[in-house]
Amino acid sequence: MTEYIGEHYLVGRIGHLFVTLSFGAALLSAWFFFSSVHDDRFKKWARITWFVQVAAVLGTIGTIFYMILNQMYEYQYVWQHSNSVMPLKYIFACFWEGQEGSFLLWSFWNVVLGSVLIRYAKEWEPYIMSVFALVQVFLASMLLGILIGDYRWGSSPFMLVREMQENLDMPWTKMKDYMSLPLFKDGRGLNPLLQNYWMTIHPPTLFLGFASTLVPFAYVIAGLWRKKFSEWIVPALPWTFFSVMVLGTGILMGGAWAYESLSFGGFWAWDPVENASLVPWLTLTAGGHVMLIHKSRKTSLGLAFVLILSTFILVLYSTFLTRSGVLGESSVHAFTDLGMSGQLLLFLFAFMLLAVALFSVRIKDFPKEPAADKIYSREFWMFLGALALALSSFHIGFTTSFPVINKIFGTSFAKLEVRDYNKWQTAFAILITFLISVGQYFRYVDTDMKAFRRKMARSFFLSLAITLTASFFFGWLTFSITVFYTILLFTCTFAVLANLDYFIRVLKGKLDHAGPSIAHIGFGMLLLGAVISTGTSKVISVNYKGSVEMLGSDYSDAENIMMTRNDTLRMGDYLVCYKGKFKEGINIKFEIEYMKKDSLTGSITKEFTLYPFIQLNERMGNAAEPDTRHFLHKDIYTHIKYAEINSLTDTTRSGNYGEPHSNSVLPGDTLFSYNWILIYDGLVKEVDTARYHLGKAELAVAARIRVFDFYKNDTIVFPIYYIQDGIPQVIEAVMPEMGLKVALWKIDPETGKVDISFVEKKTDKNDWIVMKAVIFPGINLLWVGCIIMIIGTVMAVRKRLRTTHGKNG
Amino acid sequence: MKLTQILVIAIIAVAIGIIFSTLTDAGTYDVFNTAFSNEGKEYHVVGKFNKEKGSIYDPEKDPNRFTFFMVDSMGTEKCVVLHKEKPADFEHAEKVVIIGKAKDDTFHARDILMKCPSKYNDAQAKDPTTTSR
Repeated sequence: MTEYIGEHYLVGRIGHLFVTLSFGAALLSAWFFFSSVHDDRFKKWARITWFVQVAAVLGTIGTIFYMILNQMYEYQYVWQHSNSVMPLKYIFACFWEGQEGSFLLWSFWNVVLGSVLIRYAKEWEPYIMSVFALVQVFLASMLLGILIGDYRWGSSPFMLVREMQENLDMPWTKMKDYMSLPLFKDGRGLNPLLQNYWMTIHPPTLFLGFASTLVPFAYVIAGLWRKKFSEWIVPALPWTFFSVMVLGTGILMGGAWAYESLSFGGFWAWDPVENASLVPWLTLTAGGHVMLIHKSRKTSLGLAFVLILSTFILVLYSTFLTRSGVLGESSVHAFTDLGMSGQLLLFLFAFMLLAVALFSVRIKDFPKEPAADKIYSREFWMFLGALALALSSFHIGFTTSFPVINKIFGTSFAKLEVRDYNKWQTAFAILITFLISVGQYFRYVDTDMKAFRRKMARSFFLSLAITLTASFFFGWLTFSITVFYTILLFTCTFAVLANLDYFIRVLKGKLDHAGPSIAHIGFGMLLLGAVISTGTSKVISVNYKGSVEMLGSDYSDAENIMMTRNDTLRMGDYLVCYKGKFKEGINIKFEIEYMKKDSLTGSITKEFTLYPFIQLNERMGNAAEPDTRHFLHKDIYTHIKYAEINSLTDTTRSGNYGEPHSNSVLPGDTLFSYNWILIYDGLVKEVDTARYHLGKAELAVAARIRVFDFYKNDTIVFPIYYIQDGIPQVIEAVMPEMGLKVALWKIDPETGKVDISFVEKKTDKNDWIVMKAVIFPGINLLWVGCIIMIIGTVMAVRKRLRTTHGKNG
Repeated sequence: MKLTQILVIAIIAVAIGIIFSTLTDAGTYDVFNTAFSNEGKEYHVVGKFNKEKGSIYDPEKDPNRFTFFMVDSMGTEKCVVLHKEKPADFEHAEKVVIIGKAKDDTFHARDILMKCPSKYNDAQAKDPTTTSR
């Protein structure tokens, strides 16, 4: 075997060993846990092999970090995702940029969750851990990278670059010192678009969310397996809402990231990958609420099973969608097909089969349910709410699966438009928020409707009043807001106020049981913020020039405006000026100044400056990132839609001086150039002769000229006129940043007039941008709502944990 | 009928409604010939930009108008007017998907999706003896 200079061969071998060990140990562990159901002696070995697997997973992760931190670019994964110049946090975060790393992240969270469950699951342990260990087997198999016959199982993160398929026949792979080649001097690094602090927190949170859906799934399997159809609910409840909280947070982080940095123009684009994570969250939330119903009333068991089992299956499905490449053409997140679609499908089908088979076998043993729910019972309305969430999930899941449907049925359905998503989802949102409003006021079993109406009246009418007043005041109905949006605004406000009312009047402000109310308030605010900010968002960069062919309202998309440098245009309430661009690292930043004109005095004040930028990225293409000005009640969001690539890297104030303009003036006269206002104050006899080497001059005099800019700031310049050896000469006043030169030419002592001339660089015609500016009113409601919802869910989980431990003594 | 049974039927009805409604609303991928035979109806057309014929983007005149020529999968070439700004990486796109309607001899697109070379495509691994990235 060739010894390659500088190559750390052993490290990769060790890493690969860890992966294989984790696969084998997980397999053994699954088998032992399964056996321990009937024979307790296996339990010890089950746990030992589980922890061997834990060590192996940690070893795998540790090896990769070791390779990254030691800059071993001979390894494909390190070369592709890391480099030596990124800040440490990105060197750390690049671990999960690639598919192999993100599988490991998922596996890591399972290791954490599983190990906790061994400690706390008590008699459920063998059942739950069989499922957990089985999942670990599948995840480990994604990383094996071994060839069995013609098929490669998994993609190993420990491949050397020279071992990669596309490089196998390359001559340089035979060179002993190939590592000295330029390619291996440094890695490619994290995609610049991902070099953002969100990259350090969004994936880990999201993957913990995905991983945690396995816990309620495993409890359901365990419950069905043991024929203990209701007993699994109490231990599983805190885990279920923990998962709701974490997965929800992960999804919202994605939205915040998109809003802040990407050019979606918003926080949610109904992008297939976004949808794929939302779908299981909806079924999980629905399932969690049905579990609550069953706990109180022993009804709706079947639905609880279906929803919780579906959640994990949907997580596996979404994994398949995002990693198999099938979404290739319809998503901005498209991953490439690593050739693992077969394995991903196997993973999906294995657990689908497990869930369906077990459910079908046990369905005949389901306990008889008590009398049907009365309509005015809390459990009936919660049940409806769960159904609404499930239908919403179905809508999103079905439409996101169009590429799969196309592949199977040979159809050619294209990605659904945002407005079509909103059509149905608005309806579901109205139903769900309405149910959130009234749900808590219903009592379990049955409700006294008179008391109910009385309790609800206050928040109902207040919400109605607020919605109608706001609609009137803000002219919401004149926007493209339809009746449906207004109804949704009402139900969201209602949800917030009703739950607030419940918290204050019924719970008397006690925090103990307030989790759900607070979470619902947060959810209502979140939706309210989302609806208001998108529904009433106003594009202020409306373009009044240009022809538009009226083929439908979609075709008058005059949302972009073109600005040349120093152009000032009116946008909304502001006067906006494009001041210029400058380079900062790999970004080209554009200075966009927002000013307001005082209608009384006419003076113009600068309000703020935004710096949207374009990130130069040879790999992925240049990416435009927005800059946003945050106010309490709205955001002003600006981003560059188009800029000439050629002139991007040229940031000097280029251009030529134009023709000179000459005027004969008296003191006090004003001259106008393209960009400036010049006022001639008079002649000045005190000239710094030493500085200008005018010692020999017979006469030297300067003109005092004040040059004003748009904001009435002035610069004072002193062009000089002197006579030396009888010859009149001038020294121009040159202001390179202003692109202006001023000279004093003739002096007529009789009339007192002088000749002032100037030349200037006119606006650089090549420096222009096309940009879009949007106002998002009320968007802070969205973020505040997110935080409140998370707090409320945390409170609810803690309450569940206290109850569970209380019950178990 | 029991309440639960009514609900089950209602759920199934809504689900079917969803399926029908979304399938009807969804655009379809098609070729130019179909679009031009059904003027005024919206289609998604996949194709390649004809580099030789160039493109026109004059933001001073209209920043929301970009003209170019596209060839679809059947080889039909048409003039396309996109009623948006020129996409940043237009020249690098392997394929584009335009969404719009045909009118007379031009296809008027209201949106465009670009399919750029795969993010993870290192097959063009370049010559490691010369490149450093």
